[in-house]
Amino acid sequence: MSELRKTVLHGRHVALGAKMVEFAGWEMPIQYPTGIVTEHLKTRRFAGLFDVSHMGRFVFRGSGALAFLQHALTNNAAALEVEQAQYTIIPNDKGGAIDDAYLYRFVDGEYLLVVNAGNRKKDWDHFQAMRAALGQVEIRDESEIMAMISLQGPLSKSILSNVLESGTLPEPKRNALGIVEIAGSRVLLARTGYTGEPLCFELFVDCEAAGPLWDLLVAQGAAPVGLGARDTLRLEAGLPLYGHELGVDPEGREIPIFACPLAKTAVSFSPLKEDFVGRAALLRQNEEFKEFLLQDDAPRSVLPRVIRPFAMVERSIARAGAKVLSADGRRGDYVTSGTMVPYWKTAGEKLATRFTDEVGMRAIGLALVDSRLRVGQPIRVEVRGCTAEAVLVPFHLRSEAPPYARPVLHDSLEAKRPAAPAAPTLDKVQRLLDMAAENTVWRQRECLNLIPSEMTTSPLVRLLSVMDPAFRYAEHKQVRAFYNAEIFYYQGTDFIEEVERMLEDELRTYLGCTQVETRVISGQMANTAVFSALVDCASQIDRTAEPRRLRQVLNHPILHGGHLSAQPMGALRDYIARDPKTERPAVVHFPTMSSNPYRTDVAACGELLERTRPALIIFGKSMVLHPEPVREIRALVDRLGLRAVLMYDMAHVLGLVGPHFQEPFRDGADVVTGSTHKTFFGTQRGVVAMNSRPEDARWPLWEAVRRRTFPGSVSNHHLGTLLGLLMAAHEMNHFRDAYQTQVLGNAKALAAALRRAGMNVAGDPALGYTQTHQVLVEVDYAKGPEVARRLEESNIIVNYQATANEEGFTAAGALRLGVAEMTRFGMREADFEPVAEMMADVVLRGRSVQDLVKAFRQKFLGMTFCFTGKEIETRIEQLHRLI
Amino acid sequence: MLPEDLKYTKTHEWARLDAGANVVTMGITDFAAEQLGDIVFLELPKPGAQVMKETPLGVIESVKVAVDLYAPVTGEVAEFNAPLADNLETLGRDPYGQGWMVKIKVADAGALSGLLSPEEYRKYIESEASR
Repeated sequence: MSELRKTVLHGRHVALGAKMVEFAGWEMPIQYPTGIVTEHLKTRRFAGLFDVSHMGRFVFRGSGALAFLQHALTNNAAALEVEQAQYTIIPNDKGGAIDDAYLYRFVDGEYLLVVNAGNRKKDWDHFQAMRAALGQVEIRDESEIMAMISLQGPLSKSILSNVLESGTLPEPKRNALGIVEIAGSRVLLARTGYTGEPLCFELFVDCEAAGPLWDLLVAQGAAPVGLGARDTLRLEAGLPLYGHELGVDPEGREIPIFACPLAKTAVSFSPLKEDFVGRAALLRQNEEFKEFLLQDDAPRSVLPRVIRPFAMVERSIARAGAKVLSADGRRGDYVTSGTMVPYWKTAGEKLATRFTDEVGMRAIGLALVDSRLRVGQPIRVEVRGCTAEAVLVPFHLRSEAPPYARPVLHDSLEAKRPAAPAAPTLDKVQRLLDMAAENTVWRQRECLNLIPSEMTTSPLVRLLSVMDPAFRYAEHKQVRAFYNAEIFYYQGTDFIEEVERMLEDELRTYLGCTQVETRVISGQMANTAVFSALVDCASQIDRTAEPRRLRQVLNHPILHGGHLSAQPMGALRDYIARDPKTERPAVVHFPTMSSNPYRTDVAACGELLERTRPALIIFGKSMVLHPEPVREIRALVDRLGLRAVLMYDMAHVLGLVGPHFQEPFRDGADVVTGSTHKTFFGTQRGVVAMNSRPEDARWPLWEAVRRRTFPGSVSNHHLGTLLGLLMAAHEMNHFRDAYQTQVLGNAKALAAALRRAGMNVAGDPALGYTQTHQVLVEVDYAKGPEVARRLEESNIIVNYQATANEEGFTAAGALRLGVAEMTRFGMREADFEPVAEMMADVVLRGRSVQDLVKAFRQKFLGMTFCFTGKEIETRIEQLHRLI
Repeated sequence: MLPEDLKYTKTHEWARLDAGANVVTMGITDFAAEQLGDIVFLELPKPGAQVMKETPLGVIESVKVAVDLYAPVTGEVAEFNAPLADNLETLGRDPYGQGWMVKIKVADAGALSGLLSPEEYRKYIESEASR
């Protein structure tokens, strides 16, 4: 095998006892002595280390580099910011794949394209032929200048953190890039990989640095993995491999690129790409691909077959090339990849699902089959002259619950929901009453309720919420013909009209503004109504045109504490335009301080605002430790002459509005939204407020907010809780100063006590860790859900929270606590000392403190910051009797 | 280590004759098990099946490949190692003992003639490895 090429790590593979084989002209490890199955399992449970230096690495530079890539690749290279990567395909004119590849933009002015080892020369020649026509691009084959190592699996992140000498890991999003130093060498670090692992990294280093880097990662516990398991891992992840799912089929026919579902994100028809190789053919494929996604069964001429995952039902293994027979006897479908893969068996369910030490095996594969076949459809696969039963499945593995990639077995695609036991209705009624009473006693008398978005309402607020208007309708709308009076559509509404007017008055006083909309029944609805109003307002000039979505929004991303209701994945979805460059929702994020990720980096906002010129700026977070820089951003916006609307979603901090925390309208907010039941005392509703008068430029926006609330968002606006909210507003306006001071003091006291108890409290110690009602405690990476569950078993109710460095909620390593509700139950600063100790007992020492918590809670059963006394007692009894 | 009391095939099966009962026990060699790597699937013939020398009687599969198992003798399957399919790691640990696969009833005690001696098989796999 002397003529074969060797990677710079070849000697290490041999020394490790790897079985070396020929692969695409290289001598590579197919497996190490542990074997393919073990290597696969180690990657899924711990971390696998792969030498992928045999892959081709081309670097593109020069003024025409971007234009070249836009022409030669299927994806939209212009969408890549510096420190981003994308999966892409090298297409031919017929809409087939010459190769698939990954494009990295580590630094400005340079793109790195990684291609398959076996296609390196073919790709190179293809690019060279094209370069003659396109010019102004320099392409260099740097495959043998730099080495490439892949580190995949749940421990990959901690392994890298341990060896990092300078720089930080790329932000916790797939395809994020960074440049760091490890073992004294510069490493280009990418959150990419081809195993389906949610925690995954690929490292590019100079060849001479590769050996020491490899040794260091092995010493840290990464298991060397050969090409054998690399293939089973990618197959289990459902990822295509050139020569199997891409390229030409065994009979030499081109496999259309859109036959691979990954094409959906790898092929772009952005106008920025102009006419690229294969565009016409790909457009035709895309039309039929859409029909496929819509499950439209019209016959397809260019996309008759698609790649689908399948699982064997009978005990048998389907291998690449095996025929697939469908019920209608159609021929030509075949297996593109197939084998038996191992998986860790699990125990427990939902978030408590964990890997056991038991291993299972399953025969799975990918097949190019009739695109009209549906998931769940049984198929038969030819194995050694016989046929064996298999089934089309949607996927084999899910990566959405980090830190693990989790196997999904074909016979248990949906979690089983326990069926309600059959019982006579009256028994069910009794049981329901028992459960409701038990739950109320538990949460109201036996638990420490520390979820920052929750609040118990006072007895008066609760009672008023179930009084008569609770069952009524009171739709109303301003009518110009009656001098803008509110006209009601139903009779019997005088009372609720007055309640609504009084509530508006109280909230105007509280917020320090002129306009309040109280009919929205949740904070998220409040935001939706504002987004809808912004679009409606902009469309008012021409009602015949398609409404124009918000063209650019500045907000806080989820991982930095932003709430769903300000995200494209949440309430913003239908109101945000797509950025023509990135083809993603046109959202930019507030930068944060490197010294404190919970604070906005105001100094960095000027450049961002000038460059992006947002139409809407959304302040407000659900993980919030500081006031928002409304005043500073207002000054910047005014100085730059931007017309941005400044919206402050105060959901969490609505009850803190005032001199002790923040006065949004005084600071320059245009719109305030919020929910009325977190730090505020109310029933569960929302509110929208503006400081605007009919002569102001923003007045049309206010009118649009009214329209988009009713009839835009609600018909019935839940009159019972509206009445309850009015009482809550009275309570808040009356007790505001004492309550707010107490909440903020309590939060600082809890933070300090937790710190003293040995817990890792996030935030700035110089500010007492928090300036809100919230306290953030870091536990171990991905341990948040488990710790929160243990606390619940001890009657301490908190929620787990992912921080800015974590990949998602299942990887959450923090707890979010809030003191507002327990403050209302009378707790003062000193009372949080034992709370912190009990929490530390559970979190740090694994004890149960349920009895201690129950006993402790007995001291805090009465509601404070609400109206009390003999007269009130009498009124409460009277209301009770009326129910 | 090749047991000296067995006969071997060029397709890497071993065979042992229980002369008294006219039954041949067969399995695969440790060389074959190692070459295959992680064995993940095994299909063996049921009792009563007629098998013919040098024709496939079953299949053994690793993650990477599927290969046929060949009958070292002609005869009728008397018994197969049923628990083996669920304990495939036995093939790596004890291929000549607990890793036996099939017992085949043969017509006469000369059934093993023509198979390789341990020495001949050893030479054969050495020449295979150096190819």
